[in-house]
Amino acid sequence: MIPGIHLTPIGDDSVLLEPGEGLDPTDPDAYLVPLLGYLQKQRARFLIYDLKTVALIDHVYYAWMTAMNSLCLISGITMVVANIRPHAAYALSQLIAGNPPFPCALNVDSARQAIQRLAAPAPYPDTRS
Amino acid sequence: MTTPAPTRRTTNQILIDLLMLNVGKISAVIEQQGHSIFGQANLLSKEEINDYSLEFLELVVMLLQSGNQLDRRSAEFSALRKFFTTFSQQIQARGSNLDEFVRYIQFLQRVFLDNLEADATVDFAQSREILLLLGSIFNDIILDVFHVYLEEKERTIQAQQEELRQTSTPITEIWDGVLTLPIIGTLDSTRTMMVMENLLSRIEAERARVVVIDVTGVMAIDSQVSHHLIQMIRAVGLMGADAVLTGIRPEIARSLTSLNIDLGEVTTRATLSEGLKEAFRRLRVEVRQGNG
Repeated sequence: MIPGIHLTPIGDDSVLLEPGEGLDPTDPDAYLVPLLGYLQKQRARFLIYDLKTVALIDHVYYAWMTAMNSLCLISGITMVVANIRPHAAYALSQLIAGNPPFPCALNVDSARQAIQRLAAPAPYPDTRS
Repeated sequence: MTTPAPTRRTTNQILIDLLMLNVGKISAVIEQQGHSIFGQANLLSKEEINDYSLEFLELVVMLLQSGNQLDRRSAEFSALRKFFTTFSQQIQARGSNLDEFVRYIQFLQRVFLDNLEADATVDFAQSREILLLLGSIFNDIILDVFHVYLEEKERTIQAQQEELRQTSTPITEIWDGVLTLPIIGTLDSTRTMMVMENLLSRIEAERARVVVIDVTGVMAIDSQVSHHLIQMIRAVGLMGADAVLTGIRPEIARSLTSLNIDLGEVTTRATLSEGLKEAFRRLRVEVRQGNG
């Protein structure tokens, strides 16, 4: 159990992360190692970060999210962000210069659909001439 | 036995006496002028003009009786100003213009001065004081009326701008999960904020997966506008939807390249119909022509 973060395995090698009130994004080191430990223990390939309860994404929160995304990438886990609130999306679009390094989905269902597409095996290449 | 020397009347007392002695004549003149200005244009009925004339005279007398010095914070002066504010709002709502009303107020001032000429007991110094007093009262009233007109005009302009903004950015769900946003005119920061707020809320409400932003109606584009567009597309992406930008006219495309604006990360299509095809492709929707 990681204080301030609620983690739920939801199948399809995915884990749902729901941040709680106690999460302190100014101290990513306190979360990243135990979080990765949990994901590896669950053999997760995908992490869905649910931002439903996050009203505003500022520099600090965005830095925390990108740090977590980097950690996931190193470990072969794809992080998908879901449920960014309209006001948070507006504020974040003004904050960042380019697109975020992680894929975004409208909600958790859309994120799961995106994951299924990502997890599907690539079609066998047609080598006929 | 000596007779006591007559006490010198104050400015206010002179005006009160003037009004008391000539109230019938003054009110008749005011009503006549009121009919000439407001009656002919059907702005006020005869009864309304008469009521306003009497109320005006009552309020002036109350103000003059309230003290020798004009106190701008007094209840009597506030009542007189409020009277003119309400009066001007009413006739403005009925289509009057500022000129007519200011002319009327100047006429009211002149009525007092015209009647003063007939009073031989008023010396030059008193006339001067009366003139200053009336000027002070009526200038404040004209300023109030001017502010009322300005506020009303500003309200009208804001309402029109709001209506224009609402009608110039209609967000429509043209297919399940596909929104279109045609942008007409230019995009400034205020409008971008409003459009984005509406668009992002609609994406959430309609669970939209693709947004086609059509800029065929955008006449000119500069770095600020393109920056706003890119921001909008980024926000759409953050919500988990895909944005397709359509309708970039050749001259706009030329401006964008001249401004070194990189739309490399943005999906663009030439026309709105091409944008829709792209949206359908992303949703794996196939539109076929029927046999019939």
